[in-house]
Amino acid sequence: MTSVAPAPYLTAGAPRSRLARARRQIGIIGAYFAQFLKMRMAYRADFLVDLAANLFAIGIQLATLSVLFSKVPSLRGWSFEQVLFIYGFSLLPLGLFNLISVNLYGFASHYIADGHLDRVLLRPVNPLAQVLCESFNISGLNEMILGCGIMIWAGLALGLRPVVLDMVLLLVLVPAAASIYTAVFLSLAAVSFWHEDRLGLAPPVYNVIRFARYPLTIYGYGVRLILTFVLPFAWVAYMPSLWYIGGAELRRWALATPLVALLVAALAYGVWRAGLRRYASTGS
Amino acid sequence: MTPLITVDRLTKDYRLTQRREGVLGGLVDLVRPRKRVLRAVDAVSFTIAAGEMVGYIGANGAGKSTTIKMLTGILTPTAGEVRVGGLIPYRQRQSYTRHVGVVFGQRTQLWWDLAVVESLRLLQKIYEVPEADYRQRLDFFNELLGLQEFLHQPVRKLSLGQRMRCDLAAALLHAPRLLFLDEPTIGLDVVAKENVRAFLREARDQLNVTVILTTHDLRDIEQLCRRVIIIDHGKVLYDGLLADLRRGPGHRLRLCVDLAEPVPGQQLAALTADLPVNWDGDGTRPEVPTHRHCATFSRAETNAAVILARVLAAHRVRDMALNEPAIEDVVRRIYRDGLILPVKETAVE
Repeated sequence: MTSVAPAPYLTAGAPRSRLARARRQIGIIGAYFAQFLKMRMAYRADFLVDLAANLFAIGIQLATLSVLFSKVPSLRGWSFEQVLFIYGFSLLPLGLFNLISVNLYGFASHYIADGHLDRVLLRPVNPLAQVLCESFNISGLNEMILGCGIMIWAGLALGLRPVVLDMVLLLVLVPAAASIYTAVFLSLAAVSFWHEDRLGLAPPVYNVIRFARYPLTIYGYGVRLILTFVLPFAWVAYMPSLWYIGGAELRRWALATPLVALLVAALAYGVWRAGLRRYASTGS
Repeated sequence: MTPLITVDRLTKDYRLTQRREGVLGGLVDLVRPRKRVLRAVDAVSFTIAAGEMVGYIGANGAGKSTTIKMLTGILTPTAGEVRVGGLIPYRQRQSYTRHVGVVFGQRTQLWWDLAVVESLRLLQKIYEVPEADYRQRLDFFNELLGLQEFLHQPVRKLSLGQRMRCDLAAALLHAPRLLFLDEPTIGLDVVAKENVRAFLREARDQLNVTVILTTHDLRDIEQLCRRVIIIDHGKVLYDGLLADLRRGPGHRLRLCVDLAEPVPGQQLAALTADLPVNWDGDGTRPEVPTHRHCATFSRAETNAAVILARVLAAHRVRDMALNEPAIEDVVRRIYRDGLILPVKETAVE
């Protein structure tokens, strides 16, 4: 049989179930993660330096808190242990966010100005998944481990007796809070599709995260409004922590966290998609 | 034969913001930005059959890269359409990319910090290449590109030539039906260029891939492509066989004769006064007698035999030579004079 030139038709690929697609995407993310973990491990000295830096920064913040509470018994009704608990909790989603989302931080310069987005768009994988997966910041793991330690310590001091539901809820609240961080920085990254500002808004917004580590009620009305509705960092530590330390009245607020996360993430993804469409029409 | 790629009146406009000068101008820009429309690609049409290897050439800013970006699905056209095997690249980008490989000479498609083999493994996963195919192709690439020497080095440590070899392997790992090469030999030394060309010839024959090549090095085109599309100011200047370009009016041949007796140039010019021929001696004035004279002419208008016959009838010729210009010169003339052949509807044989 003579070989026949294949018909010049390309297929859009066999239709796949949502589950099969999700499994493929997760498989790829796993492969990326394994590769970049290996790569980071190659720089073991960096890893240790990062750990030391994290320990130092967190140590300073803890020292500040303890000095503060040596002068006053409580902050607007919040005890040292309660504030410590919120602080510890805040490190979990922050660590998770730092782990996977470093690329959003330098998105404008690396992906748009230097043109790496073209490469991303030439591959059959969701562009956002690629951007998130192309680099990991391992020191995020340090923050998560230290946060866990601080939270457990504060929890013991507060005499918390966690039941199974509390633990399960933690597994929902932490990723939800992390996706709020991610959504905020995704929106900022997407803004660079319109506004070619290399510096961007990311660093100042990153600084606002610091406000999120303390009970919301210690701030004035304006700051509270902003942190709840504009830059919704109230939902990354304070609100979810209420489930554990908030008492019967306040704790149900924590349950709104996943809803807020979904809403903010959907909004941010919409902006991102609009940005990608704009990129496709301007090429810059 | 149904073409694999159909490009129909493809047009792309860029909106540029023109900044005004000074602080005051900056403020005015904020309120009322001054926009200018630049038409980078202007109603470009062509078709490409499966298995063709086509050179897409033009000066900087001619619209090459913009066309390639629309063909690869990165950019959406302002008007017109691209169809590739029934898919529209910029509408079905993610499915389309499975059939496409891309090499940009200027920047790598690989992950800077990963070892070459890890990059290839990751691509295997992304494109879902079966293990047996992966092994077979890696062997093929190893044989032709000698990847094994640096398979375990991170991409950032490779030389430009090594990196280009890896990029070629990465672009072909999923056996795409289409390969886009944007300046694949840029910055390479002569040997490395030759290796890349040899590989591309082999890959085209063995992997049955359709190739679109943009380049500044016209030797790439001469050695790889039977067909060229020349683009300038966003428009197609020429679309046809490279060989036909040689026969066109832009292609000037040079016939040099070495005469036994020195003769002034004007005598030779008089012999061919009725023909479109330019005579020049060894940089001498037409009235100074010399041995050597050269006639420049276009094959479309006359031929060497006629000229030579008239010279031989009047003078004793010791030696002669006929020189073909390099394709560079042909293309340069096309750019400069706009001397073009009528653009064919389809140049696919």
